[in-house]
Amino acid sequence: MAESDPKARQELLDMWRIYRTTKEMCRDRGYNVLPEECDIKFDDFSRKFGTESGMINRGQMNFSAIPSEDMVRKYTPPATAKTPAPEAQIGTLWVEFNGDEAFGMKHLRDFITHLTTGSYYSGIMIVVKPLSGMAMRALRGAAQLGNGPNGGVEVFLEQDLKINITKHELVPTHLLLSAEEKQQLLKRYRLKETQLPRIQVTDPVAKYYGLRRGQVVKIIRKSETAGRYASYRWAI
Amino acid sequence: MPPKSILKKSAVAANAPPAARAVNGRHLETAVHHANVLEQRKRVELDILRSVMELMDFPSQADADSTRPSPSDAQRFRQAVVAFQPSDYDALIEERNIADKCGYTLCPRPKGKAPSTARKQFVETSKGVQIVDRKKLEMWCSDDCARRALFVKVQLNEEPAWLRQGDYGTDIELMVENAEEHHKTLPLRLKKEVTPAPQDTEEEDAAAAWAARDDALADLAIERGEKPGRLSKANKDLITDKIKERVTKFPPMPPSLPQQSSGQSHMAIEGHVPKSARDAEQAKDSDDEDDEQDWDKALPG
Repeated sequence: MAESDPKARQELLDMWRIYRTTKEMCRDRGYNVLPEECDIKFDDFSRKFGTESGMINRGQMNFSAIPSEDMVRKYTPPATAKTPAPEAQIGTLWVEFNGDEAFGMKHLRDFITHLTTGSYYSGIMIVVKPLSGMAMRALRGAAQLGNGPNGGVEVFLEQDLKINITKHELVPTHLLLSAEEKQQLLKRYRLKETQLPRIQVTDPVAKYYGLRRGQVVKIIRKSETAGRYASYRWAI
Repeated sequence: MPPKSILKKSAVAANAPPAARAVNGRHLETAVHHANVLEQRKRVELDILRSVMELMDFPSQADADSTRPSPSDAQRFRQAVVAFQPSDYDALIEERNIADKCGYTLCPRPKGKAPSTARKQFVETSKGVQIVDRKKLEMWCSDDCARRALFVKVQLNEEPAWLRQGDYGTDIELMVENAEEHHKTLPLRLKKEVTPAPQDTEEEDAAAAWAARDDALADLAIERGEKPGRLSKANKDLITDKIKERVTKFPPMPPSLPQQSSGQSHMAIEGHVPKSARDAEQAKDSDDEDDEQDWDKALPG
């Protein structure tokens, strides 16, 4: 590849990191992601997604991901008498990279229509600049507007994905519990879910794992006295 | 005779639950009230969101004229914008700019282009050269649109729509050239024009008003327990419209200290001399007619 100006090269490098983090995020959530996609080499990346002049082509980076069987099982609510075969609350994910200076309601609306026409279950949009105020409100009120995909729309900033925060040594392991495991936990400790410690869904790690309100995560951290210590948090 | 129980009668305990229920009822009422307030707020916010989404794509025709908008567009715009706060209106302008449209809702043209792509721009104004954000410069397609849009903004209510009492607020005026067309589309005005307007309504109205007043008074009298035709209990003289002015007999004089030299000053308690002390004084020199307590003479009336 021809030598390009340093600014474009830096952007390409950033996008490579963001792409890898995004792939890892999808993998950690439980989607089917190939290992070679998670640690794609920079040269391969720039060959695949760079233009002739060394610029990044974000439009080509968009991808979809299919949940693994494990994930489907985790997201399937337990069968009840009324619904003997409950449907999994997860589906195909669409990830889009947007390079526009400003991300407004127009873009959001287009993204949502794309998700619904493509019958995706949920969507992730990765943007350069923060959303406009109204778009943020629209995102929060998307459920009430009632035209979005079932799994909702998540928006990430590019700069938040430059590094994978879960690889930091101070971030303990977070494990999402299925509905069944959650019931077992509550039964074992004779708790109501409101008696658990909590984690906000806006917490960076919760956002990384795409936690939904009401889910419980098991957090395993190293402890000097106990070796390993597990605690549980209720996403709110 | 069976032994009498020393325990409290169970009738007292039986009374307790209704009281508790009343308290719970009040709690429920309060909770429901607050939930309704929140619900109302959410609904209004959603309405504003929907309005912004709709107004983003205005005007409905691509060849619309910002100075002479179509009545239906203008009507919808005015309706939607009543609930806005100025910040919501700013957000609408921002959204339109992101969609590459002029910030004025009724203008179909794309937004303006700054001379260069620099983030800050030099602008020649009457006050000299100013440095302006490129975003601000590209907000409008023309100064005219800016004026029309800001004309709407200054009319918006600062108070959030869910806090406003009763209605959302007053009607919003638009700066348009074809104003008479828009007024015709207002349903309110239309109704007024349809109703026939007789010439001598004023006298009729007055007569009707007096008749209504008499009817109301008769009803009140019956309510008081009076029989029609009997003497009214209501005292007509209770309130008279005659106002009596107090007439001043002589000009007011400022109060003066008592001229008494002897004796009394030491008996005075905050300027007042008790009767016993005064009597003693008067007994001493009874020919002294001058009474210090004659200040009431000086009062008017």
